[in-house]
Amino acid sequence: MGTIIIDEREFEVDGDGFLQDPHIWDKEVAQLLASHDGTGELNDVHWKVINFIREYWLENDMAPMVRALCQAAGIRLREVYELFPMGPAKGACKIAGLPKPDGCV
Amino acid sequence: MTISDERKRQGLDLLSEKMTGKLRTHLNSCVHCGLCGESCHYYLTYGEDKYLPGHKVDLIAGIYRRYHTLMGRVAPSWIGAHDLDDERIDEMIDVIYGGCAMCGRCTLHCSVGVDISFLVRTARSMLAAMDLVPASLQSTVDAAVTTGNNMGIPQKDLVDTLLWLEEDLHMEPGFEHAEIPLNRKGVNVLYTLNPREPKFFPMSISAMAMVFHAADESWTLSTDYYDVTNYAYYSGDDGIAAELVQRLFNEAGKLEAKTLVLAECGHGPRAIRWEGPRWIQTPYPFRALTVVELMAEYIRQGRITLDPAKNRETMTLHDPCNLARDGGVIEEPRFILKHAAANFIEMTPNRENNYCCGGGGGQLAMGEFAERRLRVAELKADQIRRTGAKIVVTPCHNCIDQLMEVNKEYQLGVKIKTMAEVVADALVLR
Repeated sequence: MGTIIIDEREFEVDGDGFLQDPHIWDKEVAQLLASHDGTGELNDVHWKVINFIREYWLENDMAPMVRALCQAAGIRLREVYELFPMGPAKGACKIAGLPKPDGCV
Repeated sequence: MTISDERKRQGLDLLSEKMTGKLRTHLNSCVHCGLCGESCHYYLTYGEDKYLPGHKVDLIAGIYRRYHTLMGRVAPSWIGAHDLDDERIDEMIDVIYGGCAMCGRCTLHCSVGVDISFLVRTARSMLAAMDLVPASLQSTVDAAVTTGNNMGIPQKDLVDTLLWLEEDLHMEPGFEHAEIPLNRKGVNVLYTLNPREPKFFPMSISAMAMVFHAADESWTLSTDYYDVTNYAYYSGDDGIAAELVQRLFNEAGKLEAKTLVLAECGHGPRAIRWEGPRWIQTPYPFRALTVVELMAEYIRQGRITLDPAKNRETMTLHDPCNLARDGGVIEEPRFILKHAAANFIEMTPNRENNYCCGGGGGQLAMGEFAERRLRVAELKADQIRRTGAKIVVTPCHNCIDQLMEVNKEYQLGVKIKTMAEVVADALVLR
């Protein structure tokens, strides 16, 4: 669908900027995607959320509910939107390298 | 792309099936005045003829003339008749799906009253019959059909989220006994959700639970069928659209609800309330209305009290096309904001003349055309910027998601909120 270049690395992405191939994802890619979308430097709490999303997706082939990731990362709902300005879907799930979820996102 | 003759035949058969007096009239009425161009956010952005609403009409009208008129059969080029060939199909996918939000602004402004969005949807129905719905849109439709909601949320995950929200609600002063009732029979209100709420943005569910609590409403959510969206309205597939409406209809019957209340959404209420009874060929024995109208009713009847001073930041309203222009829910959100916000500013144009946010017509779901979706939203970004507002409120989750992206893309620095959140923030408990 398209490519984006972040720090001289080129990524194939869909129209919404989600990785075309979720399997090329690694921690470095996550940080690059986070810098690209304005989330910035990823801290420990970011990583708790991202790792949970990633593992959940690998196991269940879908993004987790925001409830599950709040509980897994030990954060309040409000904090998710502060941590990821683009929200849990176009922010956190994108940075975790998932394909775009269906629906109004 | 190459489409087999058999699939083309399926598209043409669909057009024949749909050939009513109404369709024929609208297909024959465009006078090519071109005034529709200025109504269309695609044409205003790109200035290319292919985005002219009148051109979109021609795409399907040409096919109609070719296969449904005598002149079209004997001398097609004289009357602008056109074969349904591969090239025409590519063109249709490009602008009928990828270059139109079915926002209806051109329909409102058409000098002769052609219902252009009706023709665009008919063209989408032809493409759907040929199996040519863009993959991302089709996958959202498929999720709704196979799982009962457009995000494929398992029932257990939904229930866990709703219980968690209820628990959280009890920590709010004054809401210690507020409930999020599940599958309760014989209530007044069966409320619906956009699956995006429980999945990613549940604040609006809590907000509505607070409003229901304050209004002392008897209400429930269903954990079987609750999805207010109907993406088959956008894909053009009437069979699936009807199936999705039928499920909600059955659910309201099963729970013996008196009122079906449609969550903050544009196309959902359009599909369920206005198209639904025709699709399922059954009038509703219950009342169906949008949550925006319901909240306005609560205020009017004194069932909830709001203090506008609790929302002091400047606020503007984005009218969702399907709700305002096409659904007539125009003054209710303003009435609510008059009571719920201290500094409300209209964007211009507004009400039935408002511009689409860019995410309508299934555009938000169609990653294939995402670049256009953000580019055509510049009009909306400018509208918002000119108000100077700090908050944009809109009663549609699809608009909200698009506006969140627009906010980032055009660096507007605003907050985007649902109507329920604004009302919940202004509640005064007695």
